Amino acid sequence: MAELLQLLVNGLMAGTVLAVPAIGFTAIYAVLRFPNFALASHATIGAFGGYVANTAGGLPAWAAVAVAFAVAGLVGVLSDTFVLRPLRPAGAITTAIAAVALNIALENVVRFVFGNDHRGYDLPLQRDWQVAAIRIGPQQFQNLVIALIAMAAIFLFLALTRTGKAMRAVADNPTLANVKGVDADRVGRLVSFVGMGLAGVGGMLLGLDTSIDPLTGFRVILSVFAAAVVGGLGSIPGAVVGALTIGVAEELSLVALAPAYRSAVGFVAILLVLTLRPRGILGERAY
Amino acid sequence: MGVVTDPRPLLSVDGLVAGYTATDEILKSVELSLQAGEIVSIIGPNGAGKSTLLKVIAGILAPSRGSVHLRGVPIHGRRPREISALGVAFVPQEQNVFPTMTVRENLEMGGYVDPHGSRAKIDAIFTRFPPLAEKRRHAARTLSGGQRQILAMAMALMVEPAVLLLDEPSAGLAPAAAEKLFETIRAINQDGVSIAVVEQNALEALAIAQRGYIMVDGRNSRSGPAAELARDPDVRRIFLGG
Repeated sequence: MAELLQLLVNGLMAGTVLAVPAIGFTAIYAVLRFPNFALASHATIGAFGGYVANTAGGLPAWAAVAVAFAVAGLVGVLSDTFVLRPLRPAGAITTAIAAVALNIALENVVRFVFGNDHRGYDLPLQRDWQVAAIRIGPQQFQNLVIALIAMAAIFLFLALTRTGKAMRAVADNPTLANVKGVDADRVGRLVSFVGMGLAGVGGMLLGLDTSIDPLTGFRVILSVFAAAVVGGLGSIPGAVVGALTIGVAEELSLVALAPAYRSAVGFVAILLVLTLRPRGILGERAY
Repeated sequence: MGVVTDPRPLLSVDGLVAGYTATDEILKSVELSLQAGEIVSIIGPNGAGKSTLLKVIAGILAPSRGSVHLRGVPIHGRRPREISALGVAFVPQEQNVFPTMTVRENLEMGGYVDPHGSRAKIDAIFTRFPPLAEKRRHAARTLSGGQRQILAMAMALMVEPAVLLLDEPSAGLAPAAAEKLFETIRAINQDGVSIAVVEQNALEALAIAQRGYIMVDGRNSRSGPAAELARDPDVRRIFLGG
């Protein structure tokens, strides 16, 4: 029982962290209407951006997360503007395939610069907290808080700002948004920045828990995609619900499966949702 | 001294040719004029190009030939945002609201090109259309068909347009809701907004208009005072089924 509870807590914390890049993925899908699988390499780039700020720049982990956001966001805008945007008129499938290719290219740029070694952030050593029978790592908890802050920030941005509302308008009805004077190109650049920035934050948060290498993002993209699909592609609250579902399901799978099969959870979740409820849990509710 | 009136029409369309691809001409040659303060109805069979005409005026579609002038200034080929900022507001037939956004947010998006004073304008709209005020925090997709059309028009009014282009506003509405909608259109016009309305509901459309245009196969077929068109036996036989 205690073991189950521990897995559940771990799952909820992992799910909250997973929700950050999942929101990025689904936001990009909602506005630009293609699954941007290059999110994996942007998560890695963010993780390495934060790593440089943390180890060479001496920033504490929580501050380095802002660097991870900015670096991944900037690369996101550039890669979208120069690589993906010119291909969008050819359709979502073509653009998605180009995104996979872009992902491989960017991943190898990281490999070229930083090598294949696993690297760890410069973090203070802390003892785990013990709450009743549950063990919680302070770093895990900090990650949870950072993830919640990132999510709250994105929700407030979408709910309260003029730009955030314009972004939702384009996701809701691009033709009408055009009639009403929203600059779709600007919104596209913005969603690439914010979405890939969130991917960068996600990559760094995952790395803070373990270590980072050029495949950091690649290892998590299946879970991110599964979270977005389970919640309903294009729905931001859906991405949160989907990420919590996948996070918990992956942890609970450890009861029955060897850790090596953990990634099967994502595949099974995608299969189940596409078979039984193709629009996902929350459907296409953009916000 | 008498009031000096501008002899030029507020909006004029001349020899307009347009389509969705280069080879396919939906509008083959269309003329239209709209005087300040007027309601003009554009009727005709399906596929005549009525909606396409409005889309070209609104800038969603570029014409391949011909011109659109607003107060004598050419506006054809400009982007929808610029045309909207010049005072021409377009209400599409379908998908004319942002479904997951609230009624209030929809109105904010209606005034996106000019956010100044948007709060006061929204308050004025809520006073004028109480059903919208009641549902201000509800998502637009929860509105009834009639309420949705009112919201779509209210969104267009947020830019305080000189010209309102309405594409089949009564499509899909129950007769009572349609009647209320036509009343609203007339009231908006009485506030000084000139309106060009495309309609399937030809009799109702001619009843609220000063002048009417009949389009057939991408061209003007007939035009004249709305009351005359509504009485004309040929017109009644072909378009009004009576």
